Amino acid sequence: MSAEISKGIKEIKFALLSPDEIRKMSAVKVITPDTYDDDGYPIEKGLMDLAMGTIEPGLKCKTCGGKVDTCPGHFGHIELALPVIHIGFTKEIYSILNATCANCGRIRLNEEAIKEYKERINAIKSKLVDVEYDDIVSEAESEASDISICPYCHFENRKITLEKPTTFREEGRKLTPKEIRERFEKILDDDLVLLGLEPGVARPEWMILTVFPVPPVNVRPTITLETGERSEDDLTHKLVDIIRINQRLRENRDQGSPQLIIEDLWELLQYHATTYFDNQTPGVPPAKHRSGRSLKTLVQRLKGKEGRFRSNLSGKRVNFSARTVISPEPFLSVNQVGVPIKAARELTVTETVTEHNIEKIKEMIRNSVNADESSEYRPAVNYVIKEDNKRMKVTDKNANELADKLQLGWKVERQLQDGDIVLFNRQPSLHRMSMMAHEVKVLPYRTFRFNVAVCTPYNADFDGDEMNLHVLQSQEARAEAEILMKVQENFLSPRFGGPIMGAIHDHITAMFLLTFRNRKIPKELGIHILSYVNVDKLPPVHKDDKGREYFLGREIFSAILPEGVNITFKGKINDKTIDPDGTEGLVIIKDSKLISGAIDENAVGTMKGILLDYIIRKYGNARAAKFLDDVTRLAAGVISYIGFSTGIDDEDVPLQAKAQLREVGLEAVRRVEKLIENYKEGLIGPEPGKTLEDTLESLIMKELSKAREKSSEIASNYLGIENSTVKMAKSGARANMTNLAQMAGIIGQQSIRGKRQHRGYTGRTLSHFKKGDLGAYARGFVTSSYKEGLKPTEYFFHAVGGREGLVDTAVRTSRSGYMQRRLINALEDLKVSEERSVVDTEESIIQLVYGEDGVDPSRSFGGKSVDVEFVLKEKFGDKYGGEKQ
Amino acid sequence: MTTQQILVWKDTLKKVSEIIQKAKDSTVCYCVDYDIPSNIKVKEGMITVSGKTFVVRFKISSIKPYENQQGCIFKKKDNPRTCIEISKAEEIQEDIVKYEELSGMSIEKIDTYSILRPKEEIKIELKENPLDKLDPEVKSTYDLALKIGYNLPINICKDLVTVKKKYNVSEKDYHELIKATAEKYMENLVDPYEAVGIVGAQSIGEPGTQMTMRTFHFAGIAEMDVTLGLPRLIEIVDARKTPSTPSMTIYLDEKIRNNEEKARELASKIETTTITDIADLEVNTTEMYVKIILDKEKLKERNLQKEEITSKLKKMKLQKYEIEEDGYEIKITLDEPSYKKLYNLSESLKSLQVKGVPKIRRAIVKYDDKKKEWVIYTQGSNLPAVLEMDGIDFARTKTNDIMEIAETLGIEAARQAIIDESISTLQEAGLHTDTRHLMLVADIMTYDGTVQAIGRHGVSGKKASVLARAAFEITSKHLLNAGLIGEVDKLNGVAENIIVGQPITLGTGAVNLIYKRGD
Repeated sequence: MSAEISKGIKEIKFALLSPDEIRKMSAVKVITPDTYDDDGYPIEKGLMDLAMGTIEPGLKCKTCGGKVDTCPGHFGHIELALPVIHIGFTKEIYSILNATCANCGRIRLNEEAIKEYKERINAIKSKLVDVEYDDIVSEAESEASDISICPYCHFENRKITLEKPTTFREEGRKLTPKEIRERFEKILDDDLVLLGLEPGVARPEWMILTVFPVPPVNVRPTITLETGERSEDDLTHKLVDIIRINQRLRENRDQGSPQLIIEDLWELLQYHATTYFDNQTPGVPPAKHRSGRSLKTLVQRLKGKEGRFRSNLSGKRVNFSARTVISPEPFLSVNQVGVPIKAARELTVTETVTEHNIEKIKEMIRNSVNADESSEYRPAVNYVIKEDNKRMKVTDKNANELADKLQLGWKVERQLQDGDIVLFNRQPSLHRMSMMAHEVKVLPYRTFRFNVAVCTPYNADFDGDEMNLHVLQSQEARAEAEILMKVQENFLSPRFGGPIMGAIHDHITAMFLLTFRNRKIPKELGIHILSYVNVDKLPPVHKDDKGREYFLGREIFSAILPEGVNITFKGKINDKTIDPDGTEGLVIIKDSKLISGAIDENAVGTMKGILLDYIIRKYGNARAAKFLDDVTRLAAGVISYIGFSTGIDDEDVPLQAKAQLREVGLEAVRRVEKLIENYKEGLIGPEPGKTLEDTLESLIMKELSKAREKSSEIASNYLGIENSTVKMAKSGARANMTNLAQMAGIIGQQSIRGKRQHRGYTGRTLSHFKKGDLGAYARGFVTSSYKEGLKPTEYFFHAVGGREGLVDTAVRTSRSGYMQRRLINALEDLKVSEERSVVDTEESIIQLVYGEDGVDPSRSFGGKSVDVEFVLKEKFGDKYGGEKQ
Repeated sequence: MTTQQILVWKDTLKKVSEIIQKAKDSTVCYCVDYDIPSNIKVKEGMITVSGKTFVVRFKISSIKPYENQQGCIFKKKDNPRTCIEISKAEEIQEDIVKYEELSGMSIEKIDTYSILRPKEEIKIELKENPLDKLDPEVKSTYDLALKIGYNLPINICKDLVTVKKKYNVSEKDYHELIKATAEKYMENLVDPYEAVGIVGAQSIGEPGTQMTMRTFHFAGIAEMDVTLGLPRLIEIVDARKTPSTPSMTIYLDEKIRNNEEKARELASKIETTTITDIADLEVNTTEMYVKIILDKEKLKERNLQKEEITSKLKKMKLQKYEIEEDGYEIKITLDEPSYKKLYNLSESLKSLQVKGVPKIRRAIVKYDDKKKEWVIYTQGSNLPAVLEMDGIDFARTKTNDIMEIAETLGIEAARQAIIDESISTLQEAGLHTDTRHLMLVADIMTYDGTVQAIGRHGVSGKKASVLARAAFEITSKHLLNAGLIGEVDKLNGVAENIIVGQPITLGTGAVNLIYKRGD
């Protein structure tokens, strides 16, 4: 790194520009409302005057002599014939007018009151009392405006009204900006504090413009279209208008034209000045472009999501980044990311040539020759940067020559190679695990690839999701990323103090298949499966009575466990029909041997993985990463060799069951009919605080949800653990028993906003039903199953329910996004101080001890400050193992 | 019991601080715009700011009628009447205004003044040491840890004790366990400069995307709708004046906790009953009268007597009307025929509340199976009124109206309410979020003593940095105003530094490493 001394910005002070200052900083007085002459050369004293900087590559700035890339741009100015009001300050002008004396310019408060207010203002400046300055100012101003007779010159002031946007009237008579300005000039600097202005920084009369600053050309560049046609920036258009009207106004004033004409022109100038600042001022018709689109003027440039602040200042575009579609790759570690060769060749890391790496770099430069043709990926060099910062592109032709010439101290832009640290990100970046550091693994084809255990933190799936990758450029950044942002450092989520990564879907299924009822796996198959992971020792081989050799599933799983694992916990399985003696549901691992229990979602799944959590805490992140890698690899092996599939026939139930299910549906419908009958006969009384109709509704709803529960029960009675879908549901890999019941049994009530469907035609939901029909079918109860297919009306109701879900998601994302933005904005500045209290930017203490115990939630044990039981076991081992259970 | 009298009145905070300031050096005259009887001799006074807590106590040297005195602190600009000379003033820890001590005066009347006779002098009591209330075993664990040199949080001590009991840890090993636990605790502490705010905001915002929008959900009881899910979370963070579905959970005191009848009785006292709930209104436009036909059964159901209604009717401003009773019919006749008046009369009768606590529309009694007691759930919330009722359990009764809690019980209670409400909202959605994050949000919302919203009207609008405010919302207003008052942005925060392109002041950006090259 070169020894650059970087300057920091310590503070930024805001102030108003005085007319003098505008003139002083102006490079040119603009008088011509034109931009370029016929040759395309900037007109002198025009809006594109070269003194304000240049945007054309060939031309030099008249003021600083710089070219496009070196000239920062310079302001110009327009002398206004008559003053106009600055639209951003009308409110202030209004309140100052009413608070000061028109005659002598003093604030209409007596000495005593002024003193009192000043004391209060001083008090808040020294941060004693917690009152806003604005509040005191408005209090002072309103008190002053109540006094009409000036306490100093006894002049009787009249009430001034503001007619939006820019007209001030003194009891009906219009006040011209000029008059207002004259009044403001009389105001004493001493009184300014009470008017909300800081003396020395702002003067009230500066809020009324006499000189108009013209921004530099590079603020409002001319765009040249492909056709050669020039198109001016919106601001330039507006400035043209201002200069034109200003000229006409000056001419008319000098000629002594009728007052009426002058006033009209003055107002027009005011309009242009107003829209130049803010083209969305209420009450002012927005200035339009020739095409009819309204102009984007100063305020519009800054404001909102696409404005300068949020779009360009708070968020910045970067180099060294790539984006492409993602896909899964179980053979990558959780810490890795597969980068396509194409991207790796474009992305570079700048390295300085030293005596330690010069040979390697020379080699890399030579790799550039016909790099794409070599069968294997070898990182090459894209650019060589000499000591004088001259960049030279490495081509097939000059590569060897450059490699020979390479000197110490030069820099090269080297292509990505395996092991580089990069940041990987998926939007929306809702939490810090949305951007983690990975190690590069350059791979063929065109997608980014990663281990599926990392899907959860990124919230990624592979239905076309794209992700971004950023290559770190400095040694500090790489070190920081590796220590703080690497995937393995983020296993434990700060949200709930548990593992946010873990096995998902097929990986859970595979672990379950392997360990459930301690599956016997023929030796040969077992060897194949074990070849997927790196284990030092093979699990013991058993022989059955026929002499066939086999492994036991649990022993295969035990092979990937670290040494010394001792843990007992409850698995997800909690079902007497599947697991009569409870051995599958209770996971016991002793000395890294899985003795009983099936490995399922509760052991290695995301958010829940108890075993995973234990390994992270006991063996550290690196070992846990290895364990997760092994789980994914083992899962891939298991599921490929044992095989697993599910299909529509998984939902086949025996005829008997089908009849039962149908009966459940019909029974529910009948019961509802009965309820309605009772209701019509007046046999149902209202529940407290409810109307009769609501009571009936809730009774019906209860009945119908009971029906679905019953169908779910029947379905699970007939579908055993040998069923693939059930396996997935029970192990927590995907879906649940309700989904199954909906496929095999009945789908159940389709609701909108928690109620039965009721909207549509008068008195009925669809024309298929009788008016006033409250029955189950007429209000969206679906007795068919997904497998059977839905009846037309059912299908419609199902679609209605589905649509609600879609609308819900759409609304939710925007609402929660805004909430999170507000939360972030409110909390972003908080940090833990060295004393472990939480402070904000002004060092005010928000919390004396963070979270009342000072514990980092990501280090906590599911929120607990310390897992005492874990400490006990670590300290004393088996001594206190015999818990009273 | 002293017969000492204390003068009490209400003032705004700024004047109070002024009195304290001035009273430091000399005697201050404080003028009020009302008369204080000359026969009253008081030596002490108290000022309340909000009408709920006293904040200042002072010594009064004399009270005299106002004459044009110099150097007075006026309470009201116009028309000062009495001058109170104050010789000493001191700020005291907030002391809750005790209603019963105001000799029947309602709190509004303190606005002017009132004389109160306390049973004894108000003492400033130190809040009790939380350690004293602890279980002795927990306390001894705490002390043990302290002896080794670790100040362990109470919840860890509690965990230690439970583990000790569960595994029967021997005393000697227990010492070692405490030490090991304390060491682990030190490891688990947050690092300085950790961006806890951002982590907290993300931890609440991220699960927000997974929550349902379904506004209403039956929270335990089928009869009552309560806003839940994302809308509720947004509501809490917004610090709305009133929640969209205010509701209370009223626990009952020991005597009636297990008595269904009594509980129902109390519920009917709480639930508002209007005339339309118990009677039919008949408006006769030809003879210009309104007839209230009371429903006997409904009266019985709501535990009401006819007399209660007639007395309520009489309390209405009905001077110009004539009330006739005839069994269960009450006829109100207009003195002068006017359709408008008749209409007004019938409208005001419709909304006439005969019974119950204002704002509470419904009260339902339900048996809590877990806690084994009867509980009243209400729709609508009125904490101050309910807390004053007999038979309720003061300590456990709660409402979901955070602002109401802030007003009645104070800011600390409001903070706890924000935490509790947001936790239960998240938990209802099946999401687990660490309490610490919610505490942080609750603390940033309440740390200045008022409940502030998260957003441009609250916390974000009060940021010190112009650039940070401009980047959030209403960009131009903040920039223009900054120019007027010559605001200086010190660039201490995150948003500002990103805008100017500098490293942020959190985490690794908060520290600088200076590398000294060894020669």
